[in-house]
Amino acid sequence: MNFKSPQTPLSYAQLLEANNVMQNNGDETYWLCLTRTVQGSKLFPVSAYILFSYLNAFYRYPSLLRKIEERMTAEELGDRARNMGMKIQSLHMGWCLPAFYLLGRECLLSYGLIRPQDAAEDIVYVLDFWKRFQLARHRNDGHLTNREFGHRSQIAPHRLLEVFAADMFECSPGDPLHEAAHGFMAATSQYCFLSACESRLNLHNTGPFRLDDTRQLLIRDFMDLGECSLPWLDGVAAGIPYNNLTVTMATKDCHFDIVDDWGSFESKPEFVPEMMTGIGLYTSDPLSDGYIPVGMGSAEELTSTFVDLGNLIKDATNKLWMRMAGWSRDQLLDAGAFTYFAVIKDLAHIAGVFEVEDWLEIDPRAERFRSLLNDEYADSFLGELVGSITLPTQQRSTFTMMQHSDRPSGTITPLPYSILAGEDYVPSVGGTLPGGTYLDPKVDCYQTTRGKMTLAEYNAAARDNRPDICSPEYRYLCDTWVKYNAHTDLANDLYKIDQRRSRTMKGRGTGAQLVGGQ
Amino acid sequence: MRLYTDIDYFYRAPVFPLVEAVNGLVRDLVRAKLEESGGDWSSFALGASETLVTKADIDALEGKILATGYRFSFSSNASARDRPEIYKSTEAADNYGGAAFAHPDAPTGPPDEGGRELRGCGDNVVRRNGNIVGIARYVRTSEQVIDYMRNGVPAGTIAVIDDSGGTLTAPIIEQFTAVICAGGTVRSHLGILTREFGIPCLMNAKLSGVQDGDRVEVEVSAPAKTAEAYQTGQEMKANIWRLPQ
Repeated sequence: MNFKSPQTPLSYAQLLEANNVMQNNGDETYWLCLTRTVQGSKLFPVSAYILFSYLNAFYRYPSLLRKIEERMTAEELGDRARNMGMKIQSLHMGWCLPAFYLLGRECLLSYGLIRPQDAAEDIVYVLDFWKRFQLARHRNDGHLTNREFGHRSQIAPHRLLEVFAADMFECSPGDPLHEAAHGFMAATSQYCFLSACESRLNLHNTGPFRLDDTRQLLIRDFMDLGECSLPWLDGVAAGIPYNNLTVTMATKDCHFDIVDDWGSFESKPEFVPEMMTGIGLYTSDPLSDGYIPVGMGSAEELTSTFVDLGNLIKDATNKLWMRMAGWSRDQLLDAGAFTYFAVIKDLAHIAGVFEVEDWLEIDPRAERFRSLLNDEYADSFLGELVGSITLPTQQRSTFTMMQHSDRPSGTITPLPYSILAGEDYVPSVGGTLPGGTYLDPKVDCYQTTRGKMTLAEYNAAARDNRPDICSPEYRYLCDTWVKYNAHTDLANDLYKIDQRRSRTMKGRGTGAQLVGGQ
Repeated sequence: MRLYTDIDYFYRAPVFPLVEAVNGLVRDLVRAKLEESGGDWSSFALGASETLVTKADIDALEGKILATGYRFSFSSNASARDRPEIYKSTEAADNYGGAAFAHPDAPTGPPDEGGRELRGCGDNVVRRNGNIVGIARYVRTSEQVIDYMRNGVPAGTIAVIDDSGGTLTAPIIEQFTAVICAGGTVRSHLGILTREFGIPCLMNAKLSGVQDGDRVEVEVSAPAKTAEAYQTGQEMKANIWRLPQ
């Protein structure tokens, strides 16, 4: 092959970094799929919509992320993500963003439509965006992913955890609060699997955090509950007054030894609701300026809040299920594909640049493949792509021993360094193309913490809003700084931000005294 | 005309013949369009190929497969409902689906002294203090779920499901006494949901000879299957017995 003289604006370091992200994400994809899935659904054509979403992600993520970043950097988005329970968590950002995008590329490689080096500049940009977001979101635990942290996720800063811990209400098996909280979480988990079209993208766990030697805290998020940017919730979820709910849950004698990049947990011994000893409830979104307590005035109020919300959720579940049971396969396919593809849409909501045509349309370049994705082919192709890693493009030198499988294969095809020696490549997929969907159009109504809004109102409010904690004064005051400056007025003011809505800690500040008679 | 990826030093064929066949057809199509475009990859990839390889071209590939007499298996009921002409018949699928509950590897045995017949096993989601006894009822379609929504799930129902997802039974799951699922793992959605609801559950069940309405005992007192066990292939089984009726 005759290479031209090198013209790429990409550097060796950029390619090395991108390939490192690809390899890590690919190894983790295999482990997660091996140990957590084998999924079947009588309702949704799951494998088909997953593949469809991957293709849409490959064609659209680069330009949509660039559009978001014109308004807000990945690092700032990551900083904001630490202070709210939206769909920008380990599952959505840590794993889905790179995995969906890169697996879409693998599909097209399998079809022979692209070469490993094509879209190289997109790939480097998307993975760099991802890395900057991840490092910012994970800055408290200093890791890039939960995988890198040994499957643990300690995102929240001390000042927030202190409020969560202090405001929780104690509960024990058999008491009304325990029963109501357990019932709410079960019903809401069920609703989230349904509203996310048989995926786990609407529920998530973060932690664990140490409360004492026998108790741990898990932060459990239930997201996109109300009328939001998932159009199938229009009407059926009109009665749900919160779009995102965060449950703070304390457990005793239960060690969460795995909280992975899918937001799933494992524990020793196996968690059962009887282990729950404390509970709290909050809501948040891009307009809330942190977490807002929900029903947290007293244990009795929280109990009735859980019961009332649980009943609303069950009613919405039944209505949504009836809607979905009547859908055509194309509608089921589109809804599932949007659930996956738009898993990172909350980045656009935070930046105030969400547009329906960006996130709720199938790009015509992906739409081409709709008819190919019958159930059997999709199940088999996806099984080879992420389960057995046996597509020809995924096979590597016979000396290779893949992590977890020891097979000579790799989930994601690396970028070839030959482009630095002048091998030609196409830099980008370009912008989005006008697409379409078989679903009903999105109603212009979005549930926020400031009430229901039109999209224009929501975007404008998001653009105008900067959480106090992200202001230049406070943004870079991390736990390391607090450790040595807790006695200062600035630290007290910092802590008072998260304490503003606290029942037990409002106005307390750090409570720190100078030690050693200083 | 060769595709860039046609020469593959480390090539190994995919596992599924259908994947090999379909991807081969797509690659043949791409090859033809590359030739039509003049064969310049730099302008073809993510450029000319986006307009030359059309939706109609790809739609036509399905016809080539169907012309061989091949019909696809379906997983979503909506797939066979909307396009019965491309899927194996519902009747054939029922027979096949029935086989999911007549698993060749299901452990079976003669009645013990108490009359319990071993009829299968599965992966326990959460270890319970004791086993659970109830009436096996198969739940496999939306129509059945609607019927249960209208009339209620009979008390003591142990739902036997071949869908490891968490959506088919969403409106009625809370009413099950226990669940036996013929697919998935303990981390599948149905496994997660039964854990949340506190419903005893076996996933990845291999079952044989249990009829709708049979009284069964499920060994949910067995240890819960761990991630390590899945990864290392370690057997951790909980039994399913049919009881004297």
